[in-house]
Amino acid sequence: MTVKMKMHKQIICILLVGMFFLTSCGKKSTESVIEPQSKSFFAMDTYMMITAYGKNAESALNQAEDKIEKLEKLWSVTDENSEIYAMNHSNGNTVSVSPETVELLDFSLNVSEMTDGALDCTIYPILTEWGFTTSEYKVPTDEKISELLKNTGYKKINLDGNNVIVPENMQIDLGAVGKGYTGDLVTEVLKENGVTSALLDLGGNIQTIGTKPDGTDWKLGLRSPFDEGNFATLEISDCAVITSGGYERYFVGDDGESYWHILDPKTGKPAQSGLVSVTVVGKEGRLCDALSTSLFVMGLDKAEKLWKQHDNFEMVLVAENGEIYITEGLEDDFSLNEIYGNLEVNVVRR
Amino acid sequence: MKHKKIWIKVCILIFTVGIIGSLYLIFHPHGQIVNIIQDGKILYTIDLEQAEDQMIYIEYQGSKNVIQIQERQICVIDAECPDQTCVKMGELKSNATPIVCLPNKLVIEFAENDDIDAEVK
Repeated sequence: MTVKMKMHKQIICILLVGMFFLTSCGKKSTESVIEPQSKSFFAMDTYMMITAYGKNAESALNQAEDKIEKLEKLWSVTDENSEIYAMNHSNGNTVSVSPETVELLDFSLNVSEMTDGALDCTIYPILTEWGFTTSEYKVPTDEKISELLKNTGYKKINLDGNNVIVPENMQIDLGAVGKGYTGDLVTEVLKENGVTSALLDLGGNIQTIGTKPDGTDWKLGLRSPFDEGNFATLEISDCAVITSGGYERYFVGDDGESYWHILDPKTGKPAQSGLVSVTVVGKEGRLCDALSTSLFVMGLDKAEKLWKQHDNFEMVLVAENGEIYITEGLEDDFSLNEIYGNLEVNVVRR
Repeated sequence: MKHKKIWIKVCILIFTVGIIGSLYLIFHPHGQIVNIIQDGKILYTIDLEQAEDQMIYIEYQGSKNVIQIQERQICVIDAECPDQTCVKMGELKSNATPIVCLPNKLVIEFAENDDIDAEVK
């Protein structure tokens, strides 16, 4: 073999190796990528997106949507065929409800007890008076609020087995826990279908099954209560993350004041606890949903006290002065986004 | 001998095209593909990098949304609904936060994911 021929062979080899590397730097091998199945739809007065991984994911997602549709029909306040509607229009008579509604109402009443009434499913008529259920906002007079407050109070609701009595002139709405509990029930449906990795975004209420298929945590942005951005990211797996914030639904009155939809059940007015956003992280969506509203009403000190008494949730609280409080269980999962680096982060310890 | 030279030239040509192609893929700005969806159906798929400034009018059961594309940004500038949430949301910024008009079942979202999986709100 001549020197020239050897050189030609070497050039061909180099070119072939180069071409191999060029072709391998594009997409990952399709064999190693698990394709997600996604479904998005409108339900429970919000936009929902569910992404699931697994060979039965498509069928699981269809069942999940059916489940949500069924639960919405049970718990809608406005649907004349719903169980909530039946209770609210029973004139104080006993109404028999489904096991799902019993479970949801029982849970809601327990959290009301646990939070000393910071969560109260009976304030629906006051929420309506403010216009938060119809988007026809107005500031009610103090007299009107006092009058409506007489017909509120979770302790007046009677739940016995599957029989419920909502007293005459009272109305309930389980919206503060309904989406969280829906997340729990849909998670069960997905798991029963063999889904081991999924992200449920139920109108901003997030619930996850497992980790991402590559084994890494889900990366969630926490909405800033001060602007449109995400002030922090949380890296979590296999849990629910739910936020309540004054920025979600509010209006500016003729007096120039902002009024948000999270009402203090004791005053019938927007909660003024010094907190502007509360995020709760835990295994149960229903607990996260219920507590995010309750802790917003309770404020920093009472929220910290409640957290120290229970070990089944963690929280991120944002105060109106911009200070952030995270509980120690989230210390490694929480990171403040760079542009919000001026906000002070305090770690709450047991 | 002549046969080998041709092969070398073919390989060099493929190699060069490969390098140019790779560099193009790496450095060419990715399109900002946006889907406009109504009641689960994709009405429009638009690349904001390529799209001309325009208004898109979408009607749902007699109620209208006016979508504006201007300087590679998309937003809803008018909506015939009581809450006006979609208008207040301003420009579409993240895949985790689609522009949503609940009364008119309208969603505007990026077709590709960004760095977070979802926004808690």
